[in-house]
Amino acid sequence: MPDDARKLYRAERDVGPAPDAPSTLTVHIDGQPRTAVAGETLLQVARRAGCDVPTLCHDERLQPTGACRMCLVESSDSRRLVPSCRHPVQDGLHVQTASARVLRHRQALLALYAADQPEQIVPGSELEVAMRRHGVAEGVPSVTSARAGRPEDQNRFIQFQPDRCILCARCTRYCDEVEAVAAIAVGHRGPETTIVTADMRGLLDTTCELCGGCVDTCPTGALVEKKAAPRQMELASLPTVRTTCGYCGVGCQMDLSVDRDKGQIVRVQSPPPGTTTNDGNLCVKGRFATGYVGHPDRLTVPLLRDRATGQLVPSTWDEALDRAHELLVDAKARHGAHALAFISSSRATNEENYLAQKLARAAFGTNNCHQCAAT
Amino acid sequence: MTNAITEIRDAELLFVIGSNTTEAHPIIAMEMKRAVLRGAKLIVADPRQTWLGGWADLHLQLWPGTDVALLSAMAHVILAEGLQDQTYIDTHTENFEAVRASVADWTPARAEAITGIPAADIAAAARMYATTRRAGIYYTLGITEHTHGTDNVFCLSNLVLLTGHLGQRSAGLNPLRGQNNVQGANDSGATPVFLPGYQRVDDPAARARYSAIWGREVPADKGMNLNQMMHALRDGDLKAMLVVGEDILVSEPDVAGLDRAVSELDALIVVDLFLTETAKQADVVLPAAAFAEKDGTFTNSERRVQRVRQAVPPPGQARPDWQILAALLERSDVEPVRGVATSALTPALIYQEMASGTDKFAGISHARIENEGGLQWPCPTADHKGTDFLHQGGPMRGKGLLVPVNYRPSVERPDADWPLCLSTGRTLYHYNVATQTKREQGLLDRHPGCFVEVHPDDASRYGLHDGGRAEVSTRRGAIEVDVHVSQRVQTGMIWLPMHFSEARANLLTIDAGDEVTGTAEYKVCAAAIAPR
Repeated sequence: MPDDARKLYRAERDVGPAPDAPSTLTVHIDGQPRTAVAGETLLQVARRAGCDVPTLCHDERLQPTGACRMCLVESSDSRRLVPSCRHPVQDGLHVQTASARVLRHRQALLALYAADQPEQIVPGSELEVAMRRHGVAEGVPSVTSARAGRPEDQNRFIQFQPDRCILCARCTRYCDEVEAVAAIAVGHRGPETTIVTADMRGLLDTTCELCGGCVDTCPTGALVEKKAAPRQMELASLPTVRTTCGYCGVGCQMDLSVDRDKGQIVRVQSPPPGTTTNDGNLCVKGRFATGYVGHPDRLTVPLLRDRATGQLVPSTWDEALDRAHELLVDAKARHGAHALAFISSSRATNEENYLAQKLARAAFGTNNCHQCAAT
Repeated sequence: MTNAITEIRDAELLFVIGSNTTEAHPIIAMEMKRAVLRGAKLIVADPRQTWLGGWADLHLQLWPGTDVALLSAMAHVILAEGLQDQTYIDTHTENFEAVRASVADWTPARAEAITGIPAADIAAAARMYATTRRAGIYYTLGITEHTHGTDNVFCLSNLVLLTGHLGQRSAGLNPLRGQNNVQGANDSGATPVFLPGYQRVDDPAARARYSAIWGREVPADKGMNLNQMMHALRDGDLKAMLVVGEDILVSEPDVAGLDRAVSELDALIVVDLFLTETAKQADVVLPAAAFAEKDGTFTNSERRVQRVRQAVPPPGQARPDWQILAALLERSDVEPVRGVATSALTPALIYQEMASGTDKFAGISHARIENEGGLQWPCPTADHKGTDFLHQGGPMRGKGLLVPVNYRPSVERPDADWPLCLSTGRTLYHYNVATQTKREQGLLDRHPGCFVEVHPDDASRYGLHDGGRAEVSTRRGAIEVDVHVSQRVQTGMIWLPMHFSEARANLLTIDAGDEVTGTAEYKVCAAAIAPR
């Protein structure tokens, strides 16, 4: 990366307590003394203490910006409310996270966000959860957003719905700081401010790697998986199954949202940051390339080579397994076990690889067992 | 990997060699980029200008197949300038003098002549690596897919041992596994030389252990690795094959000869999701369940055993591989799991039988993973927490073995008739032979078909233009592909992705393999190119 960009990141990270500050501090959160470490933020300490401080623009993988103002708290070092996500702890601070003043502010702010949203907020989104938990002030009339989207975007994975965007910039910061491809940015001015690409081109014509991390981090559902978009309002109510990605060797954990009636995977999400090896991230293949699972090309019945016609024809499992076994037994009888080869798969599970080598060794008496992982 | 993936972000130096991480392991690349943003130094060695190379403090664009020369010269600089960790060497390694002697002549100037990397850059890389404490090496198939792949790995482990960059957080030697369960397939014993847990088949005690568990004798014969199998297949020495989930007629090197050999087999049984090129030749095709349709475990690159859980039912009559293999075991009168009726068989019980024969996984079970999340082996007992980084307090084998290595050129090098060096690899948008990814239109939008990357100088020399078509040929075959004129490759080399069965890169590749591992030299062969 360019040196000036690196300096910028370093400089931001260097913001912290003075070098002579004690490394362990005491902060009073809602009247209770709490231990904190120099360099932590009020939000970190408050959340560790179990306080329900809402955030919308916060993602622990990203530099805090204090953009959404949801996490404002009262702090004894400031006359005004401060954004706890980027306010460093100091020894002896007294912090109120749920005072009447804080709650009034929070509900008013949520009312402003709601006024700028379509009538139905996306269930399960961080915005909807915050509104449910903290309440919304009344009397703020609805305003229509002037933000532009990219209706011509031909990519098949990621959809941007500008009327749901609150400009928290989590998506653009994720794209800069984590995926680090800088495909999207906050652009335009005033009420027309929106998430842009260069010349508002479709994502396929940008540096975007289609990882979809912007979708996962979006707190309102303004970004959504394109294929799941028609069902966006019911996504949060679908059952999820935690599993391990089947592509490369990183072993990302992922949560599959499933339509049990249709037996379909509706969308793939990462578990929350900080909980698994992939830290909230997935790549384009893991997140979006599950279409092969329910693809019409899938084999659905065993096939046997018809000895008369030479064609592969459907059979029952018993016929197919009997024939497979008989072919292996015959080959061994005629040519010896060394003429047999068992190629297992580095795509299959441990249990399956174990049974494959057991089949080669215990059933057919050969160590001719390997798989595509000759690396 | 000797380190855990989450340790990458705390590294002070990353030496990435033979790994196009941003495309092949995007999530690990995110961690690497995160480390760089925090101030870590990054050295990338790759014949191509990869995306990660653009982030590097030092990008060593070596000529394909010359890794041993580069790494020997780095070891030379480290020893010549006294940058080695002599205490670590004296305490924890053996064979130091032999390696010192073997790299004595490998000056950076000599390596420059072979690798094409400026001598000053080689020396700078050696100094950066040796003098940074939390320095990790990351590699993948660019190191191993050579006839001298094992030599390459020895060179890397020599660098690690000479500098003592092992046995601590964020410092070690990290092969990034290309497929979801490369680690686990080897762990589970699906290799000719090892039983589960890397217990050697030629060790009578190991054989006795699994013979007792199975109630069947473990054979003592010397089994064939995949590369040897493919040779035996060509020579007509193999008569029957069971192939689970691999399209060998697209994936294996020099596939032209294989088509005929496979058609002459007495028996070919294929277990797969799709009617692949290989399945089309089979006598029996058994429809398998995909990862989201079955239960079990995968083991990732950092040795973490994680659960795979069924989310949706398999289509039609398709079944999980474990049920298919269990049915074949039953027909051979071998209990899939000793003492368990087939009707009561579960992946958890299969794992339990495997783990019962090896200390490495003895403490791991489906039940523990359910409660605690993935566990990293070694994990010898049920109350052991697993092991995040290996070799703490000294190498596991007692003394780390330093291995002297002699540089050997790749088997097939450019000449007058085949003037270009052809290398192959992966792209972000497809996976292996694209059996899965070519069925996702959103990925095809980015990469609809096969292409060859050609340097602008070569493009004008051979009359090619960006977006045109070209025939790429080698001594073994020819394919027609799109032309991408690109500075990502060096003059004199071309590069192809391996993903497309319509333009099989492996009609071109050479089936020469590494002597030890059998891994084929997918990364280097001689080729020619002409416009179409």
